[in-house]
Amino acid sequence: MSKKVPKEQYEKTLSYRMRQWYEGEKDPFLNTVEMKPQPEFKEDKAVIEKRESERKSLYEHIYDMEHNAKVRTFRKLYRVFSVIFCIALVLVLLTMVSYLPTIGEVSNPVNNEVSRRYIQNGLQETGAVNIVTGMILDYRAFDTLGESHVLFIATCTVLILLRVDKKKAKGGQEDAEENDRVHEPKNDIILQTVARILVPPIIIFGIYVILGGHLGPGGGFSGGAVIGAGLILYLNAFGFVKTERFFTAKTYKWMSFCALACYALSKCYSFYTGANHIKSVIPLGTPGAILSSGLILILNICVGIVVAGTMYTFYVMFRKGGH
Amino acid sequence: MLEWIRFLAGAALLVFGLGIFIVELIGVYRFKYVLNRMHAAAMGDTLGIGFSLMGLILMNGLNFTSLKLFFVIVFLWFSSPASSHLIARLEVTTDEEPEKHYRRVELKKLEAELTAREEMESREA
Repeated sequence: MSKKVPKEQYEKTLSYRMRQWYEGEKDPFLNTVEMKPQPEFKEDKAVIEKRESERKSLYEHIYDMEHNAKVRTFRKLYRVFSVIFCIALVLVLLTMVSYLPTIGEVSNPVNNEVSRRYIQNGLQETGAVNIVTGMILDYRAFDTLGESHVLFIATCTVLILLRVDKKKAKGGQEDAEENDRVHEPKNDIILQTVARILVPPIIIFGIYVILGGHLGPGGGFSGGAVIGAGLILYLNAFGFVKTERFFTAKTYKWMSFCALACYALSKCYSFYTGANHIKSVIPLGTPGAILSSGLILILNICVGIVVAGTMYTFYVMFRKGGH
Repeated sequence: MLEWIRFLAGAALLVFGLGIFIVELIGVYRFKYVLNRMHAAAMGDTLGIGFSLMGLILMNGLNFTSLKLFFVIVFLWFSSPASSHLIARLEVTTDEEPEKHYRRVELKKLEAELTAREEMESREA
């Protein structure tokens, strides 16, 4: 038998507040947790005027629109071609969508023999105990090559956007050093001690993950990310002067180039031999040993180098704008 | 029998660790200032995870997996306090109204204050 409780007493109980929260009537964290409302977007009249006049002077003095017929035609053609390009892209994509197989058909890629073959013959054909690694670095290695290049191209794009011109910033070296994280600690002794202890195990663990990619969970992408994180920790603790002794933009460039070229060349070889039914001279080895599964170990190392360098370079770009 | 004792000890450690996690969660949501909330959160990241993983090690027995779990504990006990320290330092340097949130005292002044208070109390007694 439940007891009838007066309403004021009921409103003080936990269950009533739970119910309020559940039904969305009251947010218990509103006004108790620190919150700052976003300031409203306001602009001075002077700022608007300045922007407008700058835009006007850009068109009048730099492009010289009235006399420069070339720029005028280019701008008109640009608009026309951008519309045409968008329509063409939409058409191409829509046509491709209409060719997609219908859901639930027997001959769909989900139902065909590819996945069964990966599971049944993967170990003999690739030599990798880890089927996933065998898939991404042997059957579908071309795809992974593209992914590594995507990382490299992303770094190049960030470089174009964020790099600080060294010639223009001459004399501003101290400025840059001061701008580099005014509030954040420099030479923090706690961080330095922790980094001195933790960075070597982190990097060794990353190498272990890369080298064990064909034997268990792991591989180039995850191991490279671990190594990159270790490098970033080292940089945060000891500053640019110490990291630039062994890792500069030049090192990154050559490392990425060598890794990608090595990947592309070794994969070219295996595609060539495979497509022409020539026996590859690279032995598959005994499954389970570290030096086994042919090219997969080398490809893993290449991918790991690219990923580690990319992570570190991204961080450096966003913090300082260049190595 | 020994198996049972091991299991029960592991389970007790695990439950204790989970309890610390609950305390941490309550603290994170109840406290209002960042440093107080961080104190609560850091407690769970070190003590709570330490007890939970220790319980798992006990249940698992001594093998390679438990060695890995032990390394996870060591790693977290190094990294979590260091990161909390950095966040706290950033908060202290960028706080706009520090006198509202905390009181800054020098150690010598605090010592003098405490000894003065003790003298007062002894005189009263």
